[in-house]
Amino acid sequence: MNRLLSANFTRLIKDKFFWIGMIFMSVMGIYMTVMRYISTKEYGIHISLDTGFFNYTLYAVIVLSVFASLFIGTEYSDGTIRNKIIIGHKRTDIYLTNLLVCIAAGFLICIAYIVPALIVGIPLLGFFEVEIQTILLTALCIFVMTIAFSAIFTMIAMLNQSKAAIAVISILGVFVLLFIGIYIQARLNEPETYDAYSYTVNGENVSVESEPNPYYIGGTKRDVYEFLYDFLPGCQAVKLSNMIVPNPINMSLYSVCIAAAATGFGLILFRKKDLK
Amino acid sequence: MDYVLTTDALTKQYKHFKALSGVSMHVPKGAIYGFVGKNGAGKTTLIRLICGLSNPDSGRYSLYGIDSRQKDIIKSRRRMGAVVETPSIYLNMTAEDNLKEQYRILRLPSFEEIPALLELVGLENTGKKKVKNFSLGMRQRLGIAVALAGDPDFLVLDEPVNGLDPQGIVEIRELILKLNREHQITVLISSHILDELSRLATHYGFIDSGQIVREISAKDLENACRKCIRLEVTDTKALARTMDHMKLEYNILSNTQADIYAKINITKLALALNDAHCEILSLQEHDESLESYYINLIGGAHHE
Repeated sequence: MNRLLSANFTRLIKDKFFWIGMIFMSVMGIYMTVMRYISTKEYGIHISLDTGFFNYTLYAVIVLSVFASLFIGTEYSDGTIRNKIIIGHKRTDIYLTNLLVCIAAGFLICIAYIVPALIVGIPLLGFFEVEIQTILLTALCIFVMTIAFSAIFTMIAMLNQSKAAIAVISILGVFVLLFIGIYIQARLNEPETYDAYSYTVNGENVSVESEPNPYYIGGTKRDVYEFLYDFLPGCQAVKLSNMIVPNPINMSLYSVCIAAAATGFGLILFRKKDLK
Repeated sequence: MDYVLTTDALTKQYKHFKALSGVSMHVPKGAIYGFVGKNGAGKTTLIRLICGLSNPDSGRYSLYGIDSRQKDIIKSRRRMGAVVETPSIYLNMTAEDNLKEQYRILRLPSFEEIPALLELVGLENTGKKKVKNFSLGMRQRLGIAVALAGDPDFLVLDEPVNGLDPQGIVEIRELILKLNREHQITVLISSHILDELSRLATHYGFIDSGQIVREISAKDLENACRKCIRLEVTDTKALARTMDHMKLEYNILSNTQADIYAKINITKLALALNDAHCEILSLQEHDESLESYYINLIGGAHHE
């Protein structure tokens, strides 16, 4: 497996799409921070470094989906995965090596945003105002979530032999997961009731009583939504981008479970797969 | 005879299509084994099985005496290199980088041999040119170079001259002959271009509809295909005596049939046989090429 890791990491370092992703994330890190600084000056409002700092989570998973599908898809489109099998590498090793490279790439893509954002952000906006523990916990959860996303992208890529299909499924899949996350977040944020309020029209007091919100989710359905909000990687990405980490241990455990399940499922099918 | 590869009743089915149906073949050590069959006959399926790219439904094969059901089959595969259908090379890399990548996968200690390998396949002057800008022939040769990394004893080439121009075909042919003669590499080469195969192969295996129809050495095939006169006579013993007396090369096929491998004067032959009390019942010129041999064989198989 060391041989495969060495070969794959060498290819990663030379991979054009990886570096495009890294540069994109770095530029975004600087751009978003500078834009927040400009807002503080233009509108005279206070924006701290932690406001929107973790928004990169959403870009990171999209960039990772593109990278993973192209990096692993190339093995199929160029046929080079055959070389590894023909010379006697185990399929499990080939699969796990690709997974490890995707995880490493995911971490590096996150770091590519964080480092420039801190370098530019601390002088312009000052240091984090939220407790450093929360910052570190969020960052840690994002790294664990990256492992889950890497496992899903690796599974998709290793089980499809068409590079185009891999790219479409991965990229569309990540958008679907993120939209589900945004939708669930919006539904869970619905208030149970519309507040009572009163106003005066032509000297006459009109009062509106509080009434139940039809979009509010309650009961078992709410429990299911809350579970999905913690469980699904897309929901986790949306939560973490807003630095919402009420159950960091649960979220990380779910991510580990998703990664293990995706890898186990992918490995079982890949070991039996007929390769072209 | 030592065999590099033997297969025993290999079967492979894709949904409702039986690609291989009990294939048994034998690739002798040091041979260039021409694996002949039309498109869809099962050549690539068999190659995929022995390369480990897919698993057989039943049957087994052995590489260097290691059975496919043993764990060590993975180790024995390290002694082989293969180009299956298209060359397995990174299009966005140079020829040298592709070989370096393969060397890393093989964990070869140094890249020292890469220039020699590139020279062997005639790609020493490609420099920083990316593989995506290579011609088909250059890609094919690089694919072979990648398969040769790690000095394998057994090379499997699936349709290596498909789509190549005449110059490319000659280059690949010379390379294969060089590898076989100078580096003692056993080669399994699948193709349906019979003329090309006939210039290379020392052994043949004919496959049709997922079954091996015949295995034959090039020498036996040449004998079978030699230009000859096929005689039907009343007494082949008398014919043999006459042939020995006339110092002509011949082969007795049955009690009534024989082939004579020489240009003969029919009148003299008829008179000589008459003296030996042997009658000629029929006589016909027999001239079979690999192509007609193959057609007769496959046609025969269809009629069986």
